[in-house]
Amino acid sequence: MVARCSTDWEDAPGVAAQAIAVSERAVALAQSDGRAWDAALLALRDAEATETRGDAKRDFALERKLEAAAAAPLEIASLAADIAALAAVAGENCEGTYRADAAAAAALAAGGAAAAAHLVRVNLGIRAADPRLTHALASEQAARDVADRLGDAAR
Amino acid sequence: MTRYSSLTDAELVRACRAGDSDAWNELVERYSRYVYAIAVRGFRLSDDDAEDVFQDVFTRIYLRLDSLRDDSALRPWIAQLTRRRCLDALASKGRETPADDELTQEETADLTDVEEAFAVREALTGLSDMCQEMLDRFFAQDQSYRTIGEELDIPSGTIASRIARCLGRLREQLEGRNGADEGSRG
Repeated sequence: MVARCSTDWEDAPGVAAQAIAVSERAVALAQSDGRAWDAALLALRDAEATETRGDAKRDFALERKLEAAAAAPLEIASLAADIAALAAVAGENCEGTYRADAAAAAALAAGGAAAAAHLVRVNLGIRAADPRLTHALASEQAARDVADRLGDAAR
Repeated sequence: MTRYSSLTDAELVRACRAGDSDAWNELVERYSRYVYAIAVRGFRLSDDDAEDVFQDVFTRIYLRLDSLRDDSALRPWIAQLTRRRCLDALASKGRETPADDELTQEETADLTDVEEAFAVREALTGLSDMCQEMLDRFFAQDQSYRTIGEELDIPSGTIASRIARCLGRLREQLEGRNGADEGSRG
């Protein structure tokens, strides 16, 4: 919306096109995240119901489901960083009237990245040094930096 | 990329007429997906029927290239040949054969999508390799700015702006193309 409304900005249509692409990607990822988590939850309940310990095959299947449940939030975190980056370009080049909207988009992206990084950590139950968590946290930080910068500029 | 891939349609047609087999290969390569997409997406033909249409259309193109009056109008000519051949294929199967203006909204939309996709693909070839690479990675492969930046050795903070500028150039290419099309019709 920020780009579309900034009619004097030459790159605005190109930024708007990217915004449409990332928003479509976000919807698909959110749906994929829901499906993966449902499958993981089902596997967890099955594991609890069978009450057998040390079933290696079942444990492996469960682990795979949980890893799949972490993959979507990892991509969401990365996408949120992209959305924030796009908001940064928009915020720096758009018409002044819409600068606060770009800052709001970045803040939402930062929130999404934080939530996604949290889910990566919880779903995997992983150590701090795991590269997937490192990646998710880097995405969160990148989105947060943009949100803070645009937020300060918009005040 | 061969030297033929940078030729315009009109140049390619002239080379084909002169009996250049590499030019013919390029013409087939350039339009094979287009013909197939019209048959499958626009007319909902089966893979086997689409394959028959494909063979027949390119045979006709080969035999009738001399009859093409405007060399730059290759694509609309191929589209027309393909549509007619698709209608023949439907008729031979005993299926209802709608006239072009009787296609369902969905079929018409699909044909339009095919036309647009092909026009974009053509226009992309007029951009720099870097622009083509970035647009393909972002829009077709869904890669993140970070991945694109790492793989192309470009600061990731500049990717969104670069893509926006590449899209601007793509739009200019498309507008130039459409302008030329309109000019040739007039």
